[in-house]
Formats: sequence, C-alpha cells, structure tokens
Amino acid sequence: MNDMTTPAIERVWPELGGGRVPAWIYSDETLFERELERFHHGRCWSYVGLECEVPTPGSYRRSFVGVKPVLITRDEAGEIHVLENRCSHRGAPVCWRQRGKGKKDLVCPYHEWTFSLSGELQGVPFLRGTRPHPGMPRDFNKAEHGLRRLKSTVRGGVIWASYALDAPDFETYAGPGVLRALDRTFPGRPLRLLGYSRQTIPANWKLYFENSRDPYHATLLHSFFSTFGLYRADAEFDIQPLDNGHETIRSFFASTAADNRSEVTDELKSIKEGFALEDMGVVTPFDEFGDGVISSLQLFPSVMVQQHANTLAIRNILPKSVRETELSWTYYGYADDDEEMHRRRMKQGNLVGPSGYVSLEDSEVLAQLQPVADNYPDSVQVIEMGGREIGPTTTAITETLLRAFYAFYRREMGL
Amino acid sequence: MAAPDRSNAELRAALRDFYEDYAASLDDLRLEDWAEFFTDDALYRVMGRETYDQDLTHSTIYCDGGAMIRDRAAALRRTAVYEPRLMRRFVSGVRVLEDSDDEIQAEANFMISEAMYDRPARLFLAGQYKDCIVRTEAGFRFKARTAVYDNYSIPITLILPV
Amino acid sequence: MAWIDVAAVADIPDGEGRAFSAGGRLVAVFNCEGELFATDDACPHGQNAKLSMGFVEEGRVECPLHQSCFDLRTGKVLTPPADADVRVYGLKVEVGRVWVDV
Repeated sequence: MNDMTTPAIERVWPELGGGRVPAWIYSDETLFERELERFHHGRCWSYVGLECEVPTPGSYRRSFVGVKPVLITRDEAGEIHVLENRCSHRGAPVCWRQRGKGKKDLVCPYHEWTFSLSGELQGVPFLRGTRPHPGMPRDFNKAEHGLRRLKSTVRGGVIWASYALDAPDFETYAGPGVLRALDRTFPGRPLRLLGYSRQTIPANWKLYFENSRDPYHATLLHSFFSTFGLYRADAEFDIQPLDNGHETIRSFFASTAADNRSEVTDELKSIKEGFALEDMGVVTPFDEFGDGVISSLQLFPSVMVQQHANTLAIRNILPKSVRETELSWTYYGYADDDEEMHRRRMKQGNLVGPSGYVSLEDSEVLAQLQPVADNYPDSVQVIEMGGREIGPTTTAITETLLRAFYAFYRREMGL
Repeated sequence: MAAPDRSNAELRAALRDFYEDYAASLDDLRLEDWAEFFTDDALYRVMGRETYDQDLTHSTIYCDGGAMIRDRAAALRRTAVYEPRLMRRFVSGVRVLEDSDDEIQAEANFMISEAMYDRPARLFLAGQYKDCIVRTEAGFRFKARTAVYDNYSIPITLILPV
Repeated sequence: MAWIDVAAVADIPDGEGRAFSAGGRLVAVFNCEGELFATDDACPHGQNAKLSMGFVEEGRVECPLHQSCFDLRTGKVLTPPADADVRVYGLKVEVGRVWVDV
C-alpha cells in the first residue's frame, strides 16, 4: 500500500514476536498524526456515505474522511462528488448544514465565494473590484481555486473516497474476499436508509478496530449472545485474516439455535438458567440471503460492515483524536423489503448500536481501557489466543485477526 | 403572539407527576416498574433527532409491545456489563397537544445527567418526548413514547432507557 | 406597461450601468459601446447583487458579486452560478432622454 518504510516515530516495538502489542500505540500523539497521514488521509479508501443519502440532483450531505470534514454532493447531471468542506478562500466550512436537497451551488457563508456542486469556483464577490478600486489580481485564476476533490467511487450504492488521486482503484484496494462480502449485502439492489445511531467513545480508534475483529470476546463479554444461541463460542466460523488491513468473518446459524445448547454454552452461562426472552423476534433470524450465514467485514481503516441476522449496518470508525473515536452507525435495508422484513430489522436493531444487547459492553470496556493504556504506555498486550501464527481458522476463539492486523500495521508504519 | 392555552392546567399537572414517576423509576433502576408505565401494545422508541426529522424508522432502542419492553428491562438486569453510574432525569415543558376521550397527545423536554463514581456529573442526553397517553383504571399509561434525543452522538453508551 | 423617462443619456457612461426607480421597480440601464439596454437591477441569483454595479463588455453584463453573465439584449443567463434569465425592458432614446417601458 505505501512504499514508505521509514519508521513513523521514534519508538521501538517490543520484540516479543507477533503476539505482543505495546500500549503506547493507543496514546502517542505523534503516531496518531502519522496514522492519519499514511492511512485515512493517504492512499486508503474510506466510507463516506450511501447513494440513497443523496438521492436527487442538488442533494448533499456532510461526512468525514479521517478527521477531515468532507461534503458529498450530487450534481445536476446526477454525478456524485466528494469534496473537502473547506472554502479555498480562507478555510471556512462551505456547508454548515448536515444535509439537504435542491442546492444549485455551494456558497461559503463567510465571503460568499460560490462553487458549483462539483467544486469549481464560479463566483468571487467583487472579483473585479468596485470602481475605481481593484479587486483580485489580474492573474487570479478561478480554475486553480476550486474545492479540493477527493477520488470517489460508488459500488452497490455505497460511496467510497480517497484523498490520494493516485490511490489504486477500489476493487484492487478491497481485494476479492472483501469485495465478495461487500457485494453480498450491497449487490446493487436499491437500498432503503433506515437511520443513524452514533456514539462517542473515549478510546483510540484502533481499539475499536480490534474489538470488532475480536470474536474471542463476543460470547464472554456479551453474555446475551450465548444465552440465546445467536453467536456461540462453539459455533462454526470462517475467519479470514488478510495482509492488507481488512478481514472477513462468517458464521453459520441454525434456525433452532436458541434450543441448541452444548457443553460450552452451558459452562459459560449456567447462572442464566431460566431466563428466556418474551419476544423471540429479536433473536430469530430469517435467512434472507439464502446461505445461512451471518457475516461481517472490515475495510481498513474506516468501516466494519455487519450483517447480524437481519440487522444490516455500516459502522463508520472515525478517529477524532488519539483518545477519542466516533462510531457512526448507518442502518439500512432494501427498497423492496416488505413490512414484515422491515419490522424484523427494527426489532433486531436492538442487538447492536449504542444500546445494543450484544454491543453496549464494547464501548464501556474501551472507555475504561483507554486511561489504563494512557497511564501504562510501556505495558504490553498479549494477543496469542489460537497460537502465534496468522492464518484462517474455523473457530471464534482466536486472536489471529489481531495478529494479522498488527503485522500489517507494523509493516505500513515502519515499526 | 397568541396566549397559550392554560385551560388544561390540571391535566398538565397530572401528566407532570406521571412523567416524574417514570423518571424516578429509571433513576432508581427499578426497571420492572419502568416496564409497567406502558400498555401491553405500547410502542417505545429512542431515536436521534437526525433520524426522526427525516421520517426514518431506525431506533437506538425499539420496543414494540410489552414483551419487548419487559425483555429490555430483563436483559439490562441480567446480562449487561457496564460501569456503575448515577443517572438523573429532568423533565420540563410539558405540553398537551390534543386531548380526546381516548388518548392524550403530549410532549415534554428531558435532560439526563450522568455521574460516574469518580468523575463530575455531566449532561448526558437532552431531547424531547413525544407521547400518546391513555387513561386506564390504574392511571395514565404510555401507548406510545418516542424519546427523540438532540445529541448528534451518544456519550459512550446508552445503557438505560430514556 | 408604460414608458417612463428615467435619465439623460449622458448619465450613463460607456461601459457602465446605472440604477433608476421606474414604475415601482429598480431598473438598470447599461451603455455598451453607445448602445443602451435596460434590465432588472437585481441579479436573478438572488444574493442582493446589483447588476448596475457590474461590468459591461461585448453585449453582456457581469454581476459584480458572483460573476454571472447575462446577455444585455435578451436577458439570457450565460454563465453560472445564476440559472435564471434577467428580465429586460424596452428602451428608447428621445431628445437625449432615456425612456424605459415598464
């Protein structure tokens, strides 16, 4: 991905093998800046939004790539653009509203510099001055002062953007395994936007990136899982670590999973005997994709895309500072969902998100973990579950995905 | 400016008591009591303002019927793992939009403070309740309650109902 | 529609425009190489810009605010960001006076 192998910062990774991670990676401010430079604002592709969020010509929506505010627009011809939300004049944000429709142009509130929806500078108030006073210098060329355009692409209704105009094309960047997983839930069927939930987690972005590729914790921290057989420690998985920062995880559900107990689940949750949900709709998946699979993927650095039964969401992982991350959930379905499927998605939405039965503990743990990492920067985390090697596996009780991630990270950051 | 309708002062006072009882049940972590503020066919939702204003349907918390409401209470009581904290709900600005024999449409503002044991209290969430309330023999009950939070982003986690 | 005497021809220098009140409207009168034209003074872009303060050349007026250009004869919008034409008015010169048909 990057040709750079010069170390990002003057720190030494403890040489204890691939199964160890130093805590200073979660708190070092300089390292954070380098990460943004090399990854989010570099040659990576980031999620910015869905086509259905800017449905008509003239519609727009604000978003982020890394920490930088961007604007998604759809111009009169229907083309999507991703522009920096920063006036080329004095740097004010050009667009102050989160979203809207029917825009003909973008007018910066500060001095009314006016841009087309594709970012070209069209109007500069008093460009020619007011008689007899001069305006801008004669050689001022509007063509050189448009809004910065990111490279963008749309696939299956999802909009991706990169700061690097020479970034590899998206398909090459994602790779075949991730593309297959993406295309499964974004096959080109018109999407139906269901809404948003966001949470601000006072923890380094990598902690969340790790958490959502850590199936080992799932049944242990989220006891709701094993109690209702939605995701079992002894279930069969297909876990594919990749060397490009991405990953895919699949598990296979049985429709009677709730009744299907085993030694492992009994051992974990013997105290929960007798606890049954009154409304099992929350934990009863319908096999809408016809393959019996529950899947998730990570596309480095910006998203984890989940399909938990019938609740479909994009988790946009947005770093805000070295120790703060915004986790922005966009929930969707398909335009041809019937009322029953829609209701199912609403109910199962209780599983995930900032109040999710199987996700609320994640933010709680990470919020508590960050201050410990801050105060013990030279401490070392152990990621050796499943061994010290990196490779595909069929069990959730593994940290191979974390080892793969840090092998990638060390390589890219020269650490 | 038209003078506000104050002819329903008694109703609003009674609703304020109802809202404060509801708030107290959650402040005191009496989750089973909280579940009893709803009719058995009630719809309880907590959603962000951005989602609500676009007429979208996703809810951070979604309980369609008494069973799901009781399940939410039970799941929090029995399975959720989280750092202990004190939360306090403040309700104000109770307004009656419509009062028919069957149903009362009402709104109110809410603010929730949160204090972790080792940190100062802070404003956690603020927003508006949009309610459909029915009169029963046992008193008011929510037939529908939508808590629309103004926050762009929830601070860490929304563990308890609003 | 009525013809209204708004100004002396000499009041409008070549290559410039001036605004006048006529029949309850604000009208801009332009002198483009000796030929006179009249349009609404307000730029259709709607940002409180006065075309009479704009720049006249080659049969066009350029709005001073965002550089939208309009054909002086037809009022047709020629360049963005404006996307609507400006209204034009009939104009005649009699005995050194400019009359506009509002």
